[in-house]
Amino acid sequence: MPNHGKSREAKEIKRYRELVEAFQAQVRDGDFTPELLQKTAEILNTNPEYYTIWNHRRRIYVNEFNSIQHQYSECGLTAEHRDGQILDIIQLDLQFLLPLLMQFPKCYWIWNHRIWLLDQATSLLPAAKARPIWEEELRLAGKMLSRDNRNFHGWGYRRMIINSLESEALNGKSMAADELDYTKKMISTNLSNFSAWHNRTKLILRILDEKCADDDERKQMLDEELALIHKALCDPYDQSLWFYHQNLLCAFDPDQASETLAPRLTSAERLEYVFEELEFIKEMLDDVTDCKWIYQALIECRLLIAKIQHGMSKQDQEEVKAWLTELRKLDKLRDGRWVELGQKLGI
Amino acid sequence: MALVSGPGRGGVPAGRDPAQEPYLVTEKHVNYIKSLDTRKDELEYWLTEHLRLNGVYWGLTALHLLGQPDALPREDIIKYVMSCQSENGGFGAAPRHDAHMLSTVSAVQILATVDALDELESEGHGGRIKIGKYIAGLQNRETGTFAGDEWGETDTRFLYGAFNALSLLNLMYLIDVHKAVAHVQACRNFDGGYGVDPEAESHAGQAFTCVGALAIAGHLDLVDRDRLGAWLSERQLENGGLNGRPEKLEDVCYSWWVLSSLAMIDRLHWIDGKKLSAFILRCQDYEGGGISDRPGDMVDVFHTVFGLAGLSLLGFPGLVAVDPVYCMPKHIIQRCIQKSR
Repeated sequence: MPNHGKSREAKEIKRYRELVEAFQAQVRDGDFTPELLQKTAEILNTNPEYYTIWNHRRRIYVNEFNSIQHQYSECGLTAEHRDGQILDIIQLDLQFLLPLLMQFPKCYWIWNHRIWLLDQATSLLPAAKARPIWEEELRLAGKMLSRDNRNFHGWGYRRMIINSLESEALNGKSMAADELDYTKKMISTNLSNFSAWHNRTKLILRILDEKCADDDERKQMLDEELALIHKALCDPYDQSLWFYHQNLLCAFDPDQASETLAPRLTSAERLEYVFEELEFIKEMLDDVTDCKWIYQALIECRLLIAKIQHGMSKQDQEEVKAWLTELRKLDKLRDGRWVELGQKLGI
Repeated sequence: MALVSGPGRGGVPAGRDPAQEPYLVTEKHVNYIKSLDTRKDELEYWLTEHLRLNGVYWGLTALHLLGQPDALPREDIIKYVMSCQSENGGFGAAPRHDAHMLSTVSAVQILATVDALDELESEGHGGRIKIGKYIAGLQNRETGTFAGDEWGETDTRFLYGAFNALSLLNLMYLIDVHKAVAHVQACRNFDGGYGVDPEAESHAGQAFTCVGALAIAGHLDLVDRDRLGAWLSERQLENGGLNGRPEKLEDVCYSWWVLSSLAMIDRLHWIDGKKLSAFILRCQDYEGGGISDRPGDMVDVFHTVFGLAGLSLLGFPGLVAVDPVYCMPKHIIQRCIQKSR
């Protein structure tokens, strides 16, 4: 059977190479016709990574858009018809891309091409006609993310769509609050979704800035987030959660606070918060003693307190030393890091 | 250099004493890479043409790290690279492919590696300056960012690529370094890591591109070394391999992105290098050569070079020293930078 397989592969190679050859010949002749478009589709269905083919596909469309525009300005095509034709082209191509995207969800070029088409809609059509296409795309992005909730491109793509939908060109307004709800929905189906937690960090900053939140409102948001993460931390082995917790702690760090959601806490407030965190995390040790993240967080809280208070008592130092000893037992992979930390602290 | 994967798979062969120290099958890797361009009877050879020039860079660098710099004929390499140049000065992935930042960077890296940057000055190629201008033309002068090509996709990968190639060409003055550095800063997250853009989550690949760009610009002072080092060190998993983001699978290519970043900020000792070496070695195809992303998967030249580069950074014996910023042999970077001075 292997020979049979080889000869079939040889045939496929021949077909593919002939297709590409024929395509390149037409490109050399500057023959950007609908027939060439068909060839790009055939090649891309076999090989969506072939970026030059995507470029040619766009060049063909640019030609078509120009010609429609020309008919409008010179040959009496109505605006209604012009928009209709442009919309048809864009929507047909978005449909063509859909099965490819399902098959190759990690192929950059497919996402790039979709965004290009959508951008064309924004620049060539009135907002009222372009906006629904973007809204449809947001639904698609949601679908893709529910299939694979950590897809890197998926999250980036969703942010791009939101940026456009918020833009003036599409008569948009901020959607940060809706997006924050979306991250909460994603977190509630899977707590360990670092992508969603990350998005929260950025969205909260925006929401607070957009409503010119005062210090009380900021504090309230901080309290809500701490409550949310405390609830989530019932699974202390999940590092996504601890990274989000660490994000929130930045508000209590004099060197980092200015960039956080609560930049103007007083030193006394910061201390109060960190002590609360310290107690909360210490309590976790009642149930779990073999989780390295707990010890890391405890040490971090202690160091933060020392930073705010400009020093650490002998007793606290002993406590840190004990945690570091536990940590070294549990986290052999990063022993070099913990040894260095011990040296730095002089313990 | 074809990107055809396999035919072999990474993994320790059955029957081998697991207690035996893992070793590097140097000769087999050399033969594996040399054989890649003979596999034209496989469809995948043709379907990966859009990565051909990157593939030459990966294969050539792997051979250099293995101490076999002459395993591929130099003249053929130069001829092939030059055949990929477009009229605009940039390079496509293969002849008749459009110019793109990523293949242009590979072209410059290859020519630098075989000490042939002077070829660019030969008739019809427009000189270093033409390539430099192509790359500089992809910078957005408002935001400092770089696009991958004329169609405008923006990513810190392209910014790093521009810095890499332009510094090798000694043409950094063509771009606004200050704005680009400010953009990199904006991509930093609270966890110390970097994203593809200012809103994106931290990713090990972006740690490499952003810290690499800062290293080239002489701005490592902007990195929060402890915080980034902490995030990077948490990428190591119990099996010794490294992942690219929290709660993801280990992969040999991340042994490079994470490890080189740790090296650039002097935190290489924050992970278990011995366990990582063993993990990479377990990803070798001990029979046919080549390295895979993780044991049991098909080998390919991409994971082969990054596996070898990782081993080199870890000081594995028998390998040529690699430069963590450029992923090229250290002595070649020293030669290029000296020349440019």
